[in-house]
Amino acid sequence: MTLDRAKEIVTNRHDYAREWKKKTGSKVMGYFCTYVPEEIVYAAGVLPVRVIGSHEAQSYTEPHIYAMFCPFSRDVLAQGLRGKYDYLDGIMIGHSCLHLRQAFGAWMTNVPASFSYYMYTPAKIQSPHAKELMLAETIEFKKAVENWLGRPITDGALDKSIEVYNTNRRLLKQIYELRKADPPPLFGSEAIELVLSSQLSDKAEHNKILESVLKELPQRRNGPQGGNIRLMIIGSEDDDTNFLRYVEGLGATIVADEHCTGSRYFWNETIPEKDRLRAIGNRYVNRPPCPTKDWESRRRFVHIMNMAKEYNIQGAILVQQKFCDPHEFDIPPLKALLEKNGIPSLFLEFDITVPIGQFRTRVEAFLEMLQLEVV
Amino acid sequence: MTTQVEYWRWTESRYTNPEVDWRKASTITAGIDVGSVSSKAAVLADNEILAYGLMRTGSNSPDSALNAINRAIEGTGLTMKDIKFIVGTGYGRINIPFAGKAITEIACHARGANYIWGPVVRTILDMGGQDCKAIHCDEKGKVTAFLMNDKCAAGTGRGMEVFADLLQVPITQVGEMSLQVDKEPPPVSSTCVVFAKSEGIGLLRQGWSKNMVLAAYCSAMAHRVVTLLERIGMEKEFVLTGGISKNIGVVSRLEKELGIQAVPLPKDQKFDPQLAGAIGGALFARDLLAKSRKAF
Repeated sequence: MTLDRAKEIVTNRHDYAREWKKKTGSKVMGYFCTYVPEEIVYAAGVLPVRVIGSHEAQSYTEPHIYAMFCPFSRDVLAQGLRGKYDYLDGIMIGHSCLHLRQAFGAWMTNVPASFSYYMYTPAKIQSPHAKELMLAETIEFKKAVENWLGRPITDGALDKSIEVYNTNRRLLKQIYELRKADPPPLFGSEAIELVLSSQLSDKAEHNKILESVLKELPQRRNGPQGGNIRLMIIGSEDDDTNFLRYVEGLGATIVADEHCTGSRYFWNETIPEKDRLRAIGNRYVNRPPCPTKDWESRRRFVHIMNMAKEYNIQGAILVQQKFCDPHEFDIPPLKALLEKNGIPSLFLEFDITVPIGQFRTRVEAFLEMLQLEVV
Repeated sequence: MTTQVEYWRWTESRYTNPEVDWRKASTITAGIDVGSVSSKAAVLADNEILAYGLMRTGSNSPDSALNAINRAIEGTGLTMKDIKFIVGTGYGRINIPFAGKAITEIACHARGANYIWGPVVRTILDMGGQDCKAIHCDEKGKVTAFLMNDKCAAGTGRGMEVFADLLQVPITQVGEMSLQVDKEPPPVSSTCVVFAKSEGIGLLRQGWSKNMVLAAYCSAMAHRVVTLLERIGMEKEFVLTGGISKNIGVVSRLEKELGIQAVPLPKDQKFDPQLAGAIGGALFARDLLAKSRKAF
């Protein structure tokens, strides 16, 4: 199955990036948040790879950022300090939350790269000026990349990049569409791996993987069983696919998600227009938002409730990286909204490693609760 | 030779219901609740509790489970072969080789509470050895919502054992002694058991009596679980299960802070609310057996 290839990219992400570099002779840029307009990096012939969690206990970050920073930001920084990303030529972040920005700052100070860039992105996507602001910042960012590489990024390269990225988004959405079936042809852990592998690999190559997966899925025999409880996972950055596999081994199938490692990453396409940078910028303002930017009306909740209905979910797991204030603020109204719509939810607070014993009891009890009869 | 007294060591026990003749029962099932501190087994003859065993959990779940069930059937004439279905619950539930199914202690406590106190029960507070759970259930004892404390022993039986040892007070007397104070002291402020213990030592050095320190700890524990109940919401009727439910010092302070009295154990009740999970397990075992018989 080509699905295994996606898992392999996620598992051996560093090998993948190193090999890509060797093969192409080009540069690799690590990025910290999905608000980075990757199309520009890709159009410059640089491979953007997202820095995601390693889930290894660590003791490297304490001198740089305090222990009440979210586990994800600490995990990210630890990997930088340990030299796990020594192949990166540049690093960048699109402004979202302060924990991750501070982790980026500590990385920049302690692990110098030839290019490091903090891109401001609108903190309030509902603002009537958000798109203009995003455009201005996108123009600045493009200039910075051009200066770094010493060559311009052409309109032709941008068009090609937009097309490759849109294809990737469209293919992922087609695969997600299949998850509406009962049983869906793939597990939620596999779907997240498809998205993660997209964030970690060359999109042109990833598109081929997705095309094969789309062809193979209808014939698949070893997918999830019918009659399992249909769950949605909602919340913070979540790359803990081992935990998702674990949940799906207990008689549930994760059929939908709202994470930046899932649907939030690819749900909307760039709508091409003559001003390429405006088109790219608009796409990021219009995407299903991260709660750091979603104010005051909640576009995020609309996306969640649409998905919950379309994917016919029976329950939701609300995943929060410990100390993630933006999500913490959204969870009580979200829980109430789900409940009002007849969807019970389970709240879990994630750390770099999760307490599997306690979580097992909570998840199992939640699934027992969702069944008509316990036995 | 010096004798080392361990004050936390509560007495293991067992019970046989003299009014039940298992030989006349059509179905015998059991629930085994291997908790972090205690292992409980309850044997059900049709719909009646026949016997139970309440033992300390050892270093592995299979042995602890076997120990509890053996103690439960001791002297009843029953053998393991007579028990037609066993449900495992508690944190060791997945590691009980002779259990036909594992069900969480959350579902089992709700079911057990429904059996013990009747269908009026809506909120259950299970205060266990190493965690604490607030559970809502319907009239059938099916869970409708639940919350668990975080990964910390504060507000749990283990914390109370640490204090019993520190003050050299047998664990069963902690509750009563904590109420024998002229004035209620402010609660211990640390939520971490290790820090709370240090705080307790500090209070003793300041000249506090044992009773005062116990009062401060029981009060802190009560306050801590109240926040859990406030988060899930309080629905009447309310009952307490788990080992701490037998500590009057915690329970009375909890009731005071909540402004609600827990439903007392029924008068004819001879067994212990710490057994609620095991009883729930035995009831699920009975349902599972009925279901499998129906299928054939």
